[in-house]
Amino acid sequence: MKRNTLVLTVVLFLLATFAWAGWANWKYRQQAAERMLASAAKGELVPDPAGGMAQYNSPLKGKPAPAFALEDLSGKKVTLASYKGKAVLINFWATWCGPCKLETPWLVELRNKYAGQGFEILGVSTEGEDLKKDDKAGWDKDRAAIGKFVEQMKVPYPMLVGGDSISQDYGGLDAMPTSFFVDRKGNVVAAQMGLTSQSDIESNIKKALEN
Amino acid sequence: MTIASLKIGLSAAFALGLACLPVHAQNFNVGRSLIKGNAVQYLYPEQVTVAAGKPSAVTLHFRIAPGLHINSHTPSEDYLIPTVFSIPDGAGARLDKATYPSGTDITLPIDPKTKLSVYTGDFTIEARIVAVAGNHLVEAKLHYQACDNNECMPPKTIPVAIDVIGK
Repeated sequence: MKRNTLVLTVVLFLLATFAWAGWANWKYRQQAAERMLASAAKGELVPDPAGGMAQYNSPLKGKPAPAFALEDLSGKKVTLASYKGKAVLINFWATWCGPCKLETPWLVELRNKYAGQGFEILGVSTEGEDLKKDDKAGWDKDRAAIGKFVEQMKVPYPMLVGGDSISQDYGGLDAMPTSFFVDRKGNVVAAQMGLTSQSDIESNIKKALEN
Repeated sequence: MTIASLKIGLSAAFALGLACLPVHAQNFNVGRSLIKGNAVQYLYPEQVTVAAGKPSAVTLHFRIAPGLHINSHTPSEDYLIPTVFSIPDGAGARLDKATYPSGTDITLPIDPKTKLSVYTGDFTIEARIVAVAGNHLVEAKLHYQACDNNECMPPKTIPVAIDVIGK
């Protein structure tokens, strides 16, 4: 009787130990997987439930456009402040973005049409996480690609590099192209995300020129 | 009384064993639902057993969110960012070779002249993995760049967590 009880106790103890070890192992793996997933960047673009293009309601609308100073392709510093008194379209784009390249001829045409009324476009190249700050060869290749595109498209407006450094100020740039229309007082009057149409862009340029 | 004790003991042990089964059988399905904003989700396998020291084929399953596409491993233009699977050094396992599916050629309504080689929906990558003996939680990565018909999301790297057991 005593021996049976002892054997039973030992068996139960061993089972409990194995069960605990299995649970602890599972918990460890679960936490490791959670840590890995948590380290992944979380996007903010929410698809349109109706199935259309994601809508972009910028929190910057009605507020001053965040200041910035970026280099153009020649290395010269360009500031947003230097365009105060002009209506400005800040166009975030990327060399790997097909829709961005499609809208460029529209931007060129509209810039040439409204430049005489005090309108300018600032193209801001934004490469994302692929290009690290200390990757000199990568940045040189990036500038060369932008320069080639500017030449092909006969882009008449400044092309700035390093847009990732200001992307958070402009809402995180979940998708491209993303454009902000800034009036002569420096306030954002409209914003667009994604390729829309030349007439949409033109109507927002007119809004920026009106104020 | 002896038999009764044994019966009680065995029943208790059996019940305890049953109670433990869900703990072992449950996959750690943490975060398998699509994280808002991630265009691509890794589906499975979460655990593989391979012969230690020898290349073993593992089929990795991924899902792209509806309405989106990602460039294939061999996109049609050199300025497009390809999809690439990788395993970092020191993981206890290394990637011997990855075989990617062929992309589907599509054109977008906004640009019917340009052909793109893309993946949509569910796709798999055949990875040949070499692991040392032991249990390794490998933090592999999938790098991709996604677009829909009108806009493109920045390039992204997602974790691909695989428990690799080398035997």
